[in-house]
Amino acid sequence: MTKRETSRHISRHLREGRLQIAAYAAICLAVFLVPVLVDNDFLLNRYARYLVLGMVAMSLALAWGYAGILNLGHALSFGIGSYCMAMTLKLRTVPTHTGSDGLPDFMVWNNVETLPWLWVPFHSTTFAIAAGLLAPALVAAVLGWFMFRGRVTGVFVAIITLASLVVANLLVIDMQAYTGGFNGITDLAQLSLFGITFDAYSKSTYYLVATCLTLSLFACLAVTRSKAGLILQAIRDDERRVRFFGYDVASYKVMAMAVSAAVAGLAGMLYTVVMEFASPTFLGVPLSLSIVIWCAVGGRQSLAGAMLGAIVIAAMQGALSESEAFLETWTLVMGVVFVAVVLFLPQGLAGLVEIVRARLAAARARPAEPIAPVAAPGTGERS
Amino acid sequence: MTPHLALTDVSVSFNGFKAVDGLRLSVGKGELRCLIGPNGAGKTTALDLICGKTKADSGSITLDGRELSRLEEHEIARAGVGRKFQVPSVFRQLTVRDNLEVAMCRETGVLATLLRRARTPAGDGLEALAEFVGLADVLDDPAANLSHGQTQWLEIALLLAQDSELILLDEPTAGMTHQETAKTADICQRLKGKHTIVVVEHDMGFVREIGDVISVMHQGALLAEGGVAEISADARVREVYLGTMGIAGA
Repeated sequence: MTKRETSRHISRHLREGRLQIAAYAAICLAVFLVPVLVDNDFLLNRYARYLVLGMVAMSLALAWGYAGILNLGHALSFGIGSYCMAMTLKLRTVPTHTGSDGLPDFMVWNNVETLPWLWVPFHSTTFAIAAGLLAPALVAAVLGWFMFRGRVTGVFVAIITLASLVVANLLVIDMQAYTGGFNGITDLAQLSLFGITFDAYSKSTYYLVATCLTLSLFACLAVTRSKAGLILQAIRDDERRVRFFGYDVASYKVMAMAVSAAVAGLAGMLYTVVMEFASPTFLGVPLSLSIVIWCAVGGRQSLAGAMLGAIVIAAMQGALSESEAFLETWTLVMGVVFVAVVLFLPQGLAGLVEIVRARLAAARARPAEPIAPVAAPGTGERS
Repeated sequence: MTPHLALTDVSVSFNGFKAVDGLRLSVGKGELRCLIGPNGAGKTTALDLICGKTKADSGSITLDGRELSRLEEHEIARAGVGRKFQVPSVFRQLTVRDNLEVAMCRETGVLATLLRRARTPAGDGLEALAEFVGLADVLDDPAANLSHGQTQWLEIALLLAQDSELILLDEPTAGMTHQETAKTADICQRLKGKHTIVVVEHDMGFVREIGDVISVMHQGALLAEGGVAEISADARVREVYLGTMGIAGA
C-alpha cells in the first residue's frame, strides 16, 4: 500500500466520523426548530414527552448496543431521577393541608409528623438535580459491580436488573407515607432555574428538554467515540479476549452502566417536569420493557437510532390510540410493527440507513469502472 | 541467570482428572521455547495456567520473579503476558483497524481510555503492522469477513500490537499454507531475543525450524527437554509422541 492510499484510508475514517457528528447535529437542530413551526403549547408538551422517552432509549443503547448489557431494569434509573425532581418540586408547593414545616399533603394524610430525613436535603433544587443524576448512577454502579465482578453475563444480567426494578417498584408503592405510594407525588410546583420558570405547557420546557437531549446525546457520542467506547464494543464481541489485553472488563461495564443510568436519571427528572407528577409506573416493568423495544426498533447500535425509534413509536402510539379507526386495534398495529422490524431490520431503523448508504455507494462505484478499469475497482472504497 | 518465566510444581485437575501434574518449566529471557507432546498432555492447559484462564490448584508461576497465579487475567496481561488462542478469537464485529486499536493497550484504565480518541493518529505503526501481515487492504472491513488464514494473521498482528514481554502461541500455524507457516516461523525468529516466546505446536517441521530448546510434555508433566537432535534421539519421546520415525519423519 502506498503512502497516498494510507492517507486516503485515514481521511475516509475522519470523513465518516465528521459525517456522523454532522448527522447528529442536524437531528438536534431539527429538534430545536420544532417550536418555530408548531405554535401549540399542548402539542409542544407532548413532543417534549417524546423527546424525553427518546433520551432514555438513547441511554439504554449505550449500555445495551455498545457494551452488550441488556438492562431490563433501566426504568429504575429513570424512576429515581423522576422522584428526585418530584420531591424537590413538591417541597416548593404551598401545602393544602398544612402540617408542621410545610409537610407535603400526602404525608399529612398518612399521619407523618415531621419531614423524613431523606426528604430534608431536597429543599435545595441543586441538591435534587445532583441526586437525580448521581443516585441512579450509583445504584447502577453498585448493581453492576456485583454482577460484573462475579462475571454474570447475558440473560442473567437481564433477570437480575429486572428483578431489582420489581423490588424497587414494590418498595416505592409500599412506603406510602414517604413516597406517595401508588398515587405517586402529584400537585407539584413548576421548576425554576436561573430565573426561568418552566411551565410544562410552554416553549421554555420544550427548549429545556431539547437542550438536555442535545447535551446528553453528544456526551454519549463522546463516550462511544473514545477508546473506552471501542473497548466496550470489543467487550460486547468477546469479553474474555479483552481481558487478555489487560483491560479490566468489569470496570468498563460498570462505567457504561453508570453513565447510561445517569442519562436515564436526567431523562426521569425532565419527565417529571413535563408530566407534572411522578408515579410508580415511571419505574414499572411495562415502561422498562418499552424502552428495550424502542431501542430495538430504532437500532440499539446507534444512539440517534434508538432515540428516533422511541420518538417514532411513542408518537405512533399517541396517534393510533386516539384515532377513530385504530381505537380498538392500535396495540395490534404496534405489535406488527415491532415484529416486522425485528424480522427484516435486525439493526433497527438505523440499519436501514446503513443499507441505503451501502446501495448508494455500490451504485456510485459501478459507473466508475469503465473509466478506470486498471485501478482495481473497490479496493480502497469498500462499502 | 534467573528464568524469565518459571513454573514450579504446578498442578490442576478438572473433575478429578489431573490435566497438569507437578509441571516444572523455566524459560530464559528472550528465549523461544517449543512445547510439544501428544494430545491431552496438558500443553494448552499449561498456557491457560500462565495467562490466568485457568487457576492452578497448587504450585507457583512467576514472571520476572513476580507471582502470577493469584492475579486476575487482566492483571496478568498487564504484567506482560500476551496469548494467541488455538481457536482464532478476534473481535468479529469490529473492523480490522479497530481490532488493532484495541490490541494497542498501553493504557488500560477506564478514565485514561475515556479521554482518548478511539483512533490513534497516523504514524503509530498500525498501518505498517497491517501491511506486514498482509491485511492493509481490508483494514476497514469487519473481521467477520476475513478468511480463516487472514483471521490467523490478524490474531498474530494483535499480539504484535500488544507487544508483550512474554508471548504464548497456541498452534499458530494451524490451517496455514506452507508459505504462511514459513512466514510465521520468520516472525517468531524476529521476535526472539526481544520477547520471550512459548509455542505449542504439532507441526514438527515448524518446530525444527524455530526451536532452540524443546520441552516435551506427557500426562501433565515434563518428559524431556533439550535441543532438536537431543529430543529426536530420546527413546521416551519417540515412544510417547514422535513414533519410531523420529523428528525428521513427523
